[in-house]
Amino acid sequence: MRLASSSDVGEFRGRFKWYALTVVLTFFVIIGRLFDLQILEADRYRGEARENIIRRITMPAARGMVEDSGGNVLASNRASWNIAVVPGRVLPSGRPPHRVGRYETDTWATIAGTLRLTPVERDSWAIRLREACQTDEDHSACWRSTIVREDTPRDIVVELRQHAAEHQGADVIETSVRTYPFGSLTAHLLGYVGEIDAETLVRYRPEGYGDLASDEQRKINPLGYEPGDTVGVVGLERAWEAMLRGQRGWVKRIVDARGRYRTEPAYQSLLEEPSRQDPIAGRNLRLAFDVELQKAAKHAMAKQLGGAVVAMEVRTGRVLALYSKPEYDPNEVSGAQGRARLREAFARLRPDPLAPLLDKTTTGAFPPGSTFKPFAALAGLEDDVLKPEKNEVCNQFVFYGRRRFKCTHAHGVVNLRAAIAQSCNIYFFKLAESVGIDRIARIGQLFGFGERTGLAINPESPGRMPTRAFYTNIFRGAYKLGFTLNTAIGQGAMTTTPLQLASAYAALGNGGTLFVPQVVRSVVSSEGELLQDFHPRVRRTIPMKPQNLARITDGLKQVVESPRGTAHALRDPALPVSGKTGTAQVGYASKPGESASSAWYYSRDDAWFAALYPSMAPEVAVVVLVEHGISGPAVAAPIAFEILHAYAKLSDKRKGSAP
Amino acid sequence: MARGLRPLRRIVPARDHFDWPLFLGIAALCVVGAINLYSATSAAKLALQELYVQQVYWLVVGGIVAGILASVDYRMFEKWAWPSYGVGLVLLVLVFILGRDIRGSSRWLSIGPLSIQPSETMKIALILVLAKHLHTAHGSEHRGLRDLLVPALIAAVPAALVIKQPDLGTGLILSLIFASMVMLLAVPLSLVLRLLGSFIAVVWAVWEFDLLKDYQRARIEAFLNPEHNILGTNWHAHHARVAIGNGGATGWGFMLGTQNQFHFLPDQFTDFPFPVLAEDWGFAGSCLLVTIYAFLVLRALEIAYQSRDRFGAALATGVGALFFWHAVFNLGMVTGLLPVVGVTLPLFSYGGSSVVTDLVGVGFLMSVSAHRQS
Repeated sequence: MRLASSSDVGEFRGRFKWYALTVVLTFFVIIGRLFDLQILEADRYRGEARENIIRRITMPAARGMVEDSGGNVLASNRASWNIAVVPGRVLPSGRPPHRVGRYETDTWATIAGTLRLTPVERDSWAIRLREACQTDEDHSACWRSTIVREDTPRDIVVELRQHAAEHQGADVIETSVRTYPFGSLTAHLLGYVGEIDAETLVRYRPEGYGDLASDEQRKINPLGYEPGDTVGVVGLERAWEAMLRGQRGWVKRIVDARGRYRTEPAYQSLLEEPSRQDPIAGRNLRLAFDVELQKAAKHAMAKQLGGAVVAMEVRTGRVLALYSKPEYDPNEVSGAQGRARLREAFARLRPDPLAPLLDKTTTGAFPPGSTFKPFAALAGLEDDVLKPEKNEVCNQFVFYGRRRFKCTHAHGVVNLRAAIAQSCNIYFFKLAESVGIDRIARIGQLFGFGERTGLAINPESPGRMPTRAFYTNIFRGAYKLGFTLNTAIGQGAMTTTPLQLASAYAALGNGGTLFVPQVVRSVVSSEGELLQDFHPRVRRTIPMKPQNLARITDGLKQVVESPRGTAHALRDPALPVSGKTGTAQVGYASKPGESASSAWYYSRDDAWFAALYPSMAPEVAVVVLVEHGISGPAVAAPIAFEILHAYAKLSDKRKGSAP
Repeated sequence: MARGLRPLRRIVPARDHFDWPLFLGIAALCVVGAINLYSATSAAKLALQELYVQQVYWLVVGGIVAGILASVDYRMFEKWAWPSYGVGLVLLVLVFILGRDIRGSSRWLSIGPLSIQPSETMKIALILVLAKHLHTAHGSEHRGLRDLLVPALIAAVPAALVIKQPDLGTGLILSLIFASMVMLLAVPLSLVLRLLGSFIAVVWAVWEFDLLKDYQRARIEAFLNPEHNILGTNWHAHHARVAIGNGGATGWGFMLGTQNQFHFLPDQFTDFPFPVLAEDWGFAGSCLLVTIYAFLVLRALEIAYQSRDRFGAALATGVGALFFWHAVFNLGMVTGLLPVVGVTLPLFSYGGSSVVTDLVGVGFLMSVSAHRQS
């Protein structure tokens, strides 16, 4: 027995007690560590394990609705369905060969067919989906869902859901999007919403935001913005964001490490009370705005390329119509119909020379032309420089130094009344010469020219009411009389927005009270409870002698009434309108390479009509601007009359239906 | 003729000296391990849910092998030592040529429908060869460095091949089995301390001169900062620790632990089955399992102590070391006492190669136990 003879176990035996001691001590250390983890620190780890599986899922708040004065919904929300696919599930054949799984048939072709994608779209998506799977990582894009069609029609969604098996790997994601039932009609007033951009988000959520206590967070970010949120971008949507937005809610759910909801009853007791907080819907806005009148404005402007209409209540400053042309479709640019539509729409709208994105009622400033003459006349009367009955002779031309200033034609002998009615420039040149630019500017400023009205919906241009100081500053002291003369007829450096002109005429119509234009009448809770009612706000009461104002308003009546008035052709005994026409020259330098027809169009005069109705006791002021419309009397005035006709009909109907 | 029949005659005493405590300990471990595997994979995908069945197959196969080995006189195994060592080395070399690449290292060899891990079988071969060497390396009263050289060389070759795969965990286990076995030799304490000192120096050098793979370095750095980078390198270790703590004193109950049921434990059936048990059964269950391991290792040492020859003593010590170091590294890793090294929990982790390897070791133990001094 070779083995037995070589067996000297004695050498080893001395070691075993040390070995045994080591083993016992080591396992004691492990037990000690387990005691530490499972007994002493158990609460901490239990808490962490609970945090791992409980997720607060935010519930978006419904954005507030916007209604007009007649209860028509101008902005609300609708359901929208996006279709997302998981590349690895719809195109398993594109996965690396060793990645075998449960999904083995390609369903992409079927899905693309159901989604009614074009063959080109289908194939370009197929390439992108395949590329997503060309990596070997576990959490690659191959397993992340990708949205392939936004704002999908309902019938497609129904088909996808009914035949889920054939569309393996496609999911329907329901979201809520903003909708504007009147579309482009209310574009500039309402504006539109969009996804919050990174810059804005950083302002509300600066670095380290996530570590702050919740009340600290609320201080910096009172509206609780999160990435991907919808915010008002322009218009009412932006200006009234705080009211419309609402407050998101949350619900606690049990979620596993893969992000799936788990509903086993055994775990539901882990959800501590309160387990949910319902979202608070945004507040609704009720406007003074009247969509029917807006429709009339749009209809009246149908033949024009560009321009603006403002209708304002004379005795309150409430805005009834606010129309800017050309418009855009807010449903497109809000992204509700998909990002592709949004990008395509902006690519079309941004370079358009007619500036459809610009709100011409407030953001655009234009020379007012003759519509400013009543204010120049008022300046002369107030300062007792102008004798209303004194006649001037208009021979079509007048010379100041070597410069010739001209009128439309020879008006002959005119007094103030006739000069307003017939819009005689020569009369106003002579008036300006004696009154001076600063007195004209003082009255102009009192009526709100050169100053923002405070509508605060879209960026507002202040326009410009030039003074002597202004011109001196610009032209280095070489002041010329021509500046004064141009100012009196609303030319030269003078500009106004249609909204400014409307509120100035409203002040003429109401005896001298300038209001802050107001578009939101009241704020109503989502349950319909009235939360806040806005009263008309007076900007200032303009000090002037009633008899002077009466001479001006009389002149405005004569514009229509007098047989020689510029708008006499439109006179309608059933529609007592007073107002003032304007045809303003525009300074236009043609661009190199511009076509002759384009240069011709852009150098045409702007056409204005500012109206008050009814002329004896005005209720409403309407300002119509037709850009490059050539003639105030021939182009702008008929539009204003058409709108006022609609106004009269609407108010008759309402008076009739009122109890 | 007589030589060939001798092992058969030994079957009779094997039945008489059947080691019931060892058998019951192992059986308990296998049963608890399979049940735990059922819980561990219950929440997983369909394909994984069948894993415990596979494990039962492997346990049966390993059990039969162990039964056969237990009934053979362990002195027979001495003859197999060098052949199995040779085959083991060949397989380890083949891994580099034919191995399948999984997560950046080639550890597997496909033979027909089977995938085997040669590094696992190498453990058994190493134990056999070292036991054979220690058996014959007797006599000298003054043990010195020279006595350690040959066994060191025997262990270094496979350890180097395994570390090259790279599989640091198994390389470590091979080295520790070697250390545990050669320390049976009566080397003076001063030499042991000197070796320990130079080992520390080597570890320092490896760290300092950046000889580790990036992922290995990342794991150790993760261990040194356990609460850092929980979503990345510390994900495994962190969620394992949370699962253990989440078990508390008595646990959530079978198949109810939330970390496992909600998929926060990756590799819950291979390297991290213990957190599943700790979460389901709490401190009570964990203590029971640790006690079983402690019992098995101590039992192996007892068998070694009572062995009638050096080969049996060394063999039993080697198998005890195999269980001990696997258990210590796995439990140390999941409780955060040690860095994450991929070391399985014996008879608990899923895996055919390791289950069969462990049970072959148990067969050796049973045989040594049956043939020890009565």
